[in-house]
Amino acid sequence: MLGLSLGASPHFSYQPLWVMLIFMTMIGWRCMNLWRNWPLPSKQHRSLTWLQLGIAAIATLLLVRSYGNFIGRDAGVALLTVMLGLKVIEIRSHRDYYLSCFLGYFLVVTNFFYSQTIPTASLMFVVVIIMTTCLISLNSPIQSLDSRSRLKLANQMLLQAIPLMLVLFVFFPRIEGPLWGLPQDAYGAKTGIDDSMTLGNISQLILSDEIAFRVKFDGDIPNQSVLYWRGPVLWETDGTTWTELTRKKQNSATPNISNTHSSYQYSTMLEPHNNHWLFALDFPTTLPITLKTHLTQDGQLRADAPVRQRVQYQLNSHTQFQFNVGSDVHLADALQLPADKHQRTKQLAQQWRNHTQQPSELVQLALDHFSQQNFFYTLSPPQLAGDSIDGFLFESRRGFCEHYAASFTVLMRAAGVPARIVTGYLGGEINPVDGVMLIRQRDAHAWTEIWIEGDGWLRVDPTAAVSKERIEHGINTIMPFSMRSPMFISHSRQLFDIWQQLSNNWDALNTGWDQWILAYGPKLQKEFLSKLGMPAPNWQSMVILLTLSITTLLLIISLFLFYQYKRHDPIVQLYQRFCNKLARLGIVREPSEGPLDFAIRACKQLPTYQHQIMLISHQYTQLRYSLEPSVSLVEYRREIRQFNPKQE
Amino acid sequence: MTHNEIAAILQAVNSIILGKKHTVKLALTCLLARGHLLIEDMPGVGKTTLAHTLATTLGLSFQRIQFTSDMLPADILGVSIFDSELKQFTFHKGPIFTQLILADEVNRATPRTQSALLEAMEERQVSIEGQTYSLPEPFFVIATQNPSSQIGTFPLPESQLDRFLMQIEIGYPDTEAERILLSGHNRKQMIQQLQAVISIDKFIELQTAADNTHAAPALIDYIQQILAHSRDSGHFHFGLSPRAGLGLLSAAKAWAMIDGRDQVLPEDVQAVLPSVVGHRLQPRDEHISSDHVKDMIAQVAIP
Repeated sequence: MLGLSLGASPHFSYQPLWVMLIFMTMIGWRCMNLWRNWPLPSKQHRSLTWLQLGIAAIATLLLVRSYGNFIGRDAGVALLTVMLGLKVIEIRSHRDYYLSCFLGYFLVVTNFFYSQTIPTASLMFVVVIIMTTCLISLNSPIQSLDSRSRLKLANQMLLQAIPLMLVLFVFFPRIEGPLWGLPQDAYGAKTGIDDSMTLGNISQLILSDEIAFRVKFDGDIPNQSVLYWRGPVLWETDGTTWTELTRKKQNSATPNISNTHSSYQYSTMLEPHNNHWLFALDFPTTLPITLKTHLTQDGQLRADAPVRQRVQYQLNSHTQFQFNVGSDVHLADALQLPADKHQRTKQLAQQWRNHTQQPSELVQLALDHFSQQNFFYTLSPPQLAGDSIDGFLFESRRGFCEHYAASFTVLMRAAGVPARIVTGYLGGEINPVDGVMLIRQRDAHAWTEIWIEGDGWLRVDPTAAVSKERIEHGINTIMPFSMRSPMFISHSRQLFDIWQQLSNNWDALNTGWDQWILAYGPKLQKEFLSKLGMPAPNWQSMVILLTLSITTLLLIISLFLFYQYKRHDPIVQLYQRFCNKLARLGIVREPSEGPLDFAIRACKQLPTYQHQIMLISHQYTQLRYSLEPSVSLVEYRREIRQFNPKQE
Repeated sequence: MTHNEIAAILQAVNSIILGKKHTVKLALTCLLARGHLLIEDMPGVGKTTLAHTLATTLGLSFQRIQFTSDMLPADILGVSIFDSELKQFTFHKGPIFTQLILADEVNRATPRTQSALLEAMEERQVSIEGQTYSLPEPFFVIATQNPSSQIGTFPLPESQLDRFLMQIEIGYPDTEAERILLSGHNRKQMIQQLQAVISIDKFIELQTAADNTHAAPALIDYIQQILAHSRDSGHFHFGLSPRAGLGLLSAAKAWAMIDGRDQVLPEDVQAVLPSVVGHRLQPRDEHISSDHVKDMIAQVAIP
């Protein structure tokens, strides 16, 4: 019962409330029945049947309403949960208990559709132990085995299963494609950078501690201030929302990167975000080998398929470069502004433009405007009504990176300088435990690129004009402790350091888990197997190989146990041979039959060999059971060798 | 030589108790293994005769106590009575001070009286008013129970049953034996005329010899497997106690000696097993296996 509840508990967060409500009511009812002897609906009065039918019907209706159908992950799991709850209150026979137990195991599996983290896995491991203990209790009616020894036995059994588990983990064929694919609704909304930007949606990410991706540098680690992780590039705006170039405008030309300096080599492990783009240190100069990707004209690294599983890729980036120096086909798009919006901003830009035509001077004017006109960098900007850019620039003057990036871009475009917004992440934290850099959702950032004749696209980060710390030391310096740690330790620096240390260790553990356990997909498996000397096996041959190897393994173990049991005693072995000879004539010794009883029975069936049978049996009992046997092993062996009974 | 004496004992007893060779052999096994015997059967099948014959044949002094519900421990153990001539209490030994005592219908007495007997069985001595009196050596109790009419009886609890090495049944004689019985002499008279076959010293020697019968490690393995099966199989409410295990071994040794062997074989264990463990095991599923011990033999493989 406990196992079932625990096994179902993670579903609380994924399932509608009513599903869990029904489930917990049923479990609670059953528990009260066991402890306090509360009455259960009885089968005789049909109340059970009606109740179950009623609940099942209601549940089905609700399911259809919530999910539309029964197919799919969420609906299926919900149905399983409700029905399991109903099963629990009608448990009566042994068979019902077994069924509930096995359904419980199934429930454990369904949890991994949603989450594959270490806590989930450990919780489910505990559940599996409890379930196994239940099964042991069901199978052994002896009360003398108390619950502790049952638990111990369950642990032992599971420990013994670990080698097999490892073999299966390594060799079980991983197949790309629909066989293992989860239903479509398995890829729900993920937090993270979006392909469009409205003022305010990046600052929502700031509270998220979730890891966006991890990076391991081979060699030097670049300075914090150049850690711009390039994501979606936004061009088009309707005044409030910024979006990527529409697909038909994108052309397949690759960007032209020249004059590169400061090369860094690193591998990235990206958490699934259900979108195409991959994050790369600005600017990637090689494409990953392990993934099918392409580089768009505006410098986005995009995977051909949406990232629905954790992916790992190797990249080489240069932090100093020149980007599309010659020209850019999309320059017109980089000047587009909605005609009837941002009037005050356009006026300001027009004033500047009257002052100077030089793009670099215009940039400087804008940045000076930010730094001198009382602009503040804040993590909780006020809500902007009406024209958000005008509102920000002339009224609130408090904003987050996206406000600065967006308004700067508008200013530049209005002043006639091609500009675009780049979203992504800035910074990252090195975990001292394993040297892996963690980039979290709260590191999300937006900045601007402008195009200047002769220099190409240049990165301008208007946020730097307001808050240098954000750029040079990362988001953590801006955020107060209280936003980064649990409430109760926020007031003490020392406690905070301990907490930091612990969370570093936990992150390192998670990195290992992701890298070695969860990332073990078809590719890693293929690599690993080819290292073992099995180049590129297909999954059919792997299934055969797996079956063969497991059979062999089990065979070896059982043979080993069998031989240990027999203990290589020559007396017993020879007697076994004697029995085998008789067994060929249809006289089979029962395992519980004593040697003399067996001899007498054999003599009745084979009177011709009476003398020999009695002699050998006597020798056997002498050798095996006497203190001072009156016969020698040699004689005994000779007799058995000479004993060749034939059917009369 | 030993074998001849045993054969003589068996022959003498079998001349009185007709057609019950196996039962007689089990009863003798029990005595040779220094154990107490519980006979559960109908009245009139020869329980008393068997006890009496054994006592006479083995040259043991014999007493019979008929248990009733108004019996007191003093009726068994003895009582101190004031001697007016000596001006002091003197202890008058009860019927228990004998080498072989037949406790007839032991379940008729109250638990208090039963426990007085059973304590004496275990300690082989009697303590009354601070004085300890040793019981004669050898000392055996053959108790009988009548299973058919349990009204007004106090059935022996498991802990008491455990003190009996064996429980056997006698059962009706077969047609042939019954015919001889009906046409032959009066059994009571025959017992009167019966002579002791061996002396008490000789009998104690036989007991020692039975104890010295060799039990090989392989055989101890077998006994352990039986014990383990009784505990782990789940067929019984409680497993066999270590005392039951010891009893099983000594009974098997005595049986092997009666069969004239100096080593114990699994067959010996199997032969005594029903009588040694039958009354100690309560099958969980009472209506399913009446032959639970036979099932147990079939289920435990001989190592």
